[in-house]
Amino acid sequence: MSSDFEAYEQEFGTLTAEITSKIGRIPKLGGEEKTQLVLNVDKQLEEVRELLEQMDLEVREIPVQSRGMYNSRLKSYKQEMEKLEKDFKRSRIAYSDEVRNELLGDDGSSSESQLIKLREERAHLLDNTERLERSSRRLEAGYQIAVETEQIGQEILSNLHTDREKIQRSRDRLRETDANLGKSSRILTGMLRRIIQNRILVFILGAIILLTIVLAIYFNLRGH
Amino acid sequence: MDNSGKEKEAMQLMAEADKKVKSSGSFLGGMFGGNHKVEDACEMYARAANMFKMAKNWSAAGNAFCQAARLHMQMQNKLDAATSFVDAGNAYKKADPQEAINCLNAAIDIYTDMGRFTIAAKHHMTIAEVYESELVDIEKAIAHYEQAADYYKGEESNSSANKCLLKVGFYCAQLEQYPKAIEIFEQVATSTMDNPLLKYNAKEYFWKASLCHFIVDELNAKLAIEKYESMFPAFSDSRECKLLKKLLEAHEEQNSEAFTEAVKEFDSISRLDQWQTTMLLRIKKTIQGDGGDLK
Repeated sequence: MSSDFEAYEQEFGTLTAEITSKIGRIPKLGGEEKTQLVLNVDKQLEEVRELLEQMDLEVREIPVQSRGMYNSRLKSYKQEMEKLEKDFKRSRIAYSDEVRNELLGDDGSSSESQLIKLREERAHLLDNTERLERSSRRLEAGYQIAVETEQIGQEILSNLHTDREKIQRSRDRLRETDANLGKSSRILTGMLRRIIQNRILVFILGAIILLTIVLAIYFNLRGH
Repeated sequence: MDNSGKEKEAMQLMAEADKKVKSSGSFLGGMFGGNHKVEDACEMYARAANMFKMAKNWSAAGNAFCQAARLHMQMQNKLDAATSFVDAGNAYKKADPQEAINCLNAAIDIYTDMGRFTIAAKHHMTIAEVYESELVDIEKAIAHYEQAADYYKGEESNSSANKCLLKVGFYCAQLEQYPKAIEIFEQVATSTMDNPLLKYNAKEYFWKASLCHFIVDELNAKLAIEKYESMFPAFSDSRECKLLKKLLEAHEEQNSEAFTEAVKEFDSISRLDQWQTTMLLRIKKTIQGDGGDLK
């Protein structure tokens, strides 16, 4: 009986050793190999459980005096198996951390803070892009205004040119009018002078006629 | 309230003036105080016309002014007649464009007779504007603008002449008389090139001339652009020139999308006006026409 138990013990020992080593390897692998290994470890754990059950039966068959030692051994084996199961479970879940740490080097941070950092960077970049876009839009608007100003300037210049010509023409005409006015005033003075001359002539002639009439009357009276 | 009163007064005055004219027509009146009466009648007509204007009865006002003008002509008062005709034209503008044009033509005849070409040119421009806007007779408008431009040139007012010529060019291009339009634009551009005040306008005129060249023939446009660049270096810097080059390329490759894109880009910075868009559309149609497919 006890030899059976010892054989079971030995088998338990080898199985647990294998399981431990496999559990150690699981996190480092990925994909196909990992699933296979996981299946393997599962099977081995099943075998370990069966072993433990058989060991239990064996211990029951042993007489009561020596049962104590076997009982305590069995208990320790059971605890070991539970620990192995826990390890196994953890190894399946916690892989991501290990792999990630390997990939990102000695980051020392968990996935949560990684996400937060990425989000911050993204916001920062978006901010920058927005600022660039705003400045380029402002530049374009400024350019448009400059072009419009140029066109308005062109129009104003051509208007000024037209006005300049008009003013020049008016000035010339004014000078002409001035000269004409001078001429006309001269003509008028000439006319005035001639009128005065004519009037003097008329008076003189009138005086001569009067004189002639007076002389004629005088001579007539004298002749009588 | 006030206006209708004015109208009645005006009609009264007209009637009186008519009587005076008739009475002066008879022999006796003509002997004794004919001139005096005609002058009075003229004045009355003018007053009546002003009152009609106040009452906003434009055609009656125009009529009254015309009568006054005829009386002035009778008295050999050419200047007064011409001014009255111009007033009549202005009044008729608001009511009966055709009559307005007749009156203004009469005024122009008087002015050219007296040798006052500047003012005649100004009235030619007014008539052309009336044709442009109200009667929409582009051919006649072009004729009048040309006359105005000639008179202005005769009187050495080059900017006014250029203004008229530009309008002529626009309308010629619209009516598809491209060689004439090209000649006009080139002429104007070369004359403004040297003047420091106006040289900023020159590039615009070159751009318009090249557009016209483009519609006629693409090769023409290329030669023309080179010629303009050699004449006027600042032209090559302008955005219009760059646009032209892009359009030439697009035209060579028969690529109407590149064409539209280039035009849109230019338009986003400075809007294209009506005339330019029409020209560009014609050019675009020639691209599509050559391409063969209807988009």
